[in-house]
Amino acid sequence: MTKENLFEEPGLKQITVWARGVYENKEARDVVVAITEAAASEGRFVQAWENYVDLPDRIYVPVRAYGKISDQEIKSKYVYENEAPDIVALTEETLVKGVNILEGIKPGAVLVVNTRRPAGYLFKFIKQGTENLSKIVTVDANSLAKSIITLSGAEGATDASGIGKGMGAALAAAIVKATGIVQFESLLKIVGNKNAAKKAFEMADVVEVKTLVRAG
Amino acid sequence: MGVKKRISGCVATANAVKLADVEVICSFPIRPYTGIMSELARMVADGELDAEFVHGEGEHGQLSVVYGASAAGARAFTGSAGVGVTYAMELYSPISGERLPLQMAIADRTLDPPGDFGSEHTDALCLRDQGWIQGWAATPQEALDLTLLYYRIGEDPRVLLPQYACQDGYFVSHIFGDVEIPDVAQVKEFLPPYKNHHVLDPRNPQIMGAQMEPAMGPGMQYQRYQAVESARQVIEEAHDEFGRIFGRKYAPWVEEYMTDDAEIAIFMQGGHSETCKTVVKRLRNLGEKVGMVRLRTFRPFPTQHVREALAKFKAVGVVDNSANFGISGGAGVLLTEARTALYGLGDKVKTLGFVAGLGGEMITHEEFHKMFGKLKEVAKTGKTGKENFWLPFEL
Amino acid sequence: MSVQVKDVPFAGTVPSPKTENEGMITGSWRTRRPILDKDKCTDCRMCWISCPDSSINLTNGSVSFNLKYCKGCGICNEICPVGAISLVPELDFEE
Repeated sequence: MTKENLFEEPGLKQITVWARGVYENKEARDVVVAITEAAASEGRFVQAWENYVDLPDRIYVPVRAYGKISDQEIKSKYVYENEAPDIVALTEETLVKGVNILEGIKPGAVLVVNTRRPAGYLFKFIKQGTENLSKIVTVDANSLAKSIITLSGAEGATDASGIGKGMGAALAAAIVKATGIVQFESLLKIVGNKNAAKKAFEMADVVEVKTLVRAG
Repeated sequence: MGVKKRISGCVATANAVKLADVEVICSFPIRPYTGIMSELARMVADGELDAEFVHGEGEHGQLSVVYGASAAGARAFTGSAGVGVTYAMELYSPISGERLPLQMAIADRTLDPPGDFGSEHTDALCLRDQGWIQGWAATPQEALDLTLLYYRIGEDPRVLLPQYACQDGYFVSHIFGDVEIPDVAQVKEFLPPYKNHHVLDPRNPQIMGAQMEPAMGPGMQYQRYQAVESARQVIEEAHDEFGRIFGRKYAPWVEEYMTDDAEIAIFMQGGHSETCKTVVKRLRNLGEKVGMVRLRTFRPFPTQHVREALAKFKAVGVVDNSANFGISGGAGVLLTEARTALYGLGDKVKTLGFVAGLGGEMITHEEFHKMFGKLKEVAKTGKTGKENFWLPFEL
Repeated sequence: MSVQVKDVPFAGTVPSPKTENEGMITGSWRTRRPILDKDKCTDCRMCWISCPDSSINLTNGSVSFNLKYCKGCGICNEICPVGAISLVPELDFEE
């Protein structure tokens, strides 16, 4: 039987959000849930879930939440980690250091970071995977909304605290600004903190990686 | 009619428990089933569900609580995963022997080989012959539906047996899927209030679990055998009714996917069948005559239906998502069950056993592809050679 | 992806870490780095006693931080009676 490209899903977009255990689990999940729900409202096929093997009950441990969006029915729904992300987002800037956040990214992938620092400064810390990175987007999401710390919604349960009321709303808006993965209006309908999302959409600074390489 | 949401298998199950108006719930945490209980705890705390929510001191305690609750006439619910499931082993037989139709949700977890915590059907398969109704959901929607179906089947006066409503841990229990949550009126029509004809009641004292002499033993076991056998008809009726009321029609025993004119097929159960389906579809697009048969009800095992479903193929690959060491055939429980079902057809249908997805690994598209490749070779040559394969190491 | 059989430790048994556990390097959990003001430090060793991850080394009576494993929890900063340990954002340091 032929094998070549048999299981490729060309229209599939993968979003991976990295966060710090316990105090940002919810925000990471909110980012993928808000964006995938927005995509679903546009009639696309979506999935959102949290990594099962990370250690989400340990404070500061790097944890991941994932989203998938496709124009066709998702075939790889039980591929439980995003192997080739199109978008990587960080709820916390230090994740650029010592964590292989860009592993497997597709050519043209975008990195979105919640930080006050400029993209050029963060870029110096990323040791692997930058050859496929096209843009770095920075937004000071912490200045717009706080991280909501809750275990509600952990382990696949419903998040009774609501979606996108905290810093995740701002980070999601920055992702949408940089990538156009969904309409910003669709996102606004989902997130609770619409002000933070709107401000982040204005504030987010999109920088082409090639300009950074030249500067460096 | 219902409401459409994107939720995990855990939340889907919890919603079904709420819709079934369960009266007593007993919890104890263990991943990956924990989400079911945290969701139910929230529902009770928020006043969405009026139920006694008891924190067990362990799984043995959990099963003991719902055992008593069910005996007192309450619709009762509990759940567990992995070694939690096996820790409660003592209780399963008396509960079905007492004919108490409580329900236990299992979101599978491997039995610590040691240390791992991923999904694997081994935990629930250890319980397979305890006189409970048992089957696997492949999607969050089916997880919700199984809970409703199983209460109805188990509580039927012709059956009165407890049920294991199983779902793959993480894959089904944690990854969100599209679910239609039915409305209360539909569920009321489908699932009448629970009534058992033997109930603990101080106004009419009786002893449950009374001391029995060995001479009573064979008769008691035979009663339970009869109950399991008579569940077959009730399972079919319940699925018909379910389709009529909710509009989702499930084959009660085996779901056949693209099996028309198929020469080779995979036989399996659980969530990984969703991955298998996409592989079947792709291979069909390439002109390969492949199909899949998914077992929906594992206990009672539908021997006749499985035989009919599998007899039309030249070769069948049986996928076992469980570790069974030293078992006949060298693969898993499903292989032995499938071969027993095919007994009498001689060597007409070649069967291969594939052990896959152990310890929480997904069964990949490529792995299913390799299985079909092997089956195609066997169908072509009519010779099997090695008949059991542990993936990814042996194929 | 499944690890090959030969690479899985026999019977799930691994050597006990004696000085450090290379299988669980936790320095990347840190968002703030502890910095010691040696002039203020009285060598009382409260931080060394209190560190939950044994990430404070004691050499010839004075303390230093093992940044390979320090998670940046900040307990040393809380516990120090003379305020000799401060927490500085990790990204302020290039290395």
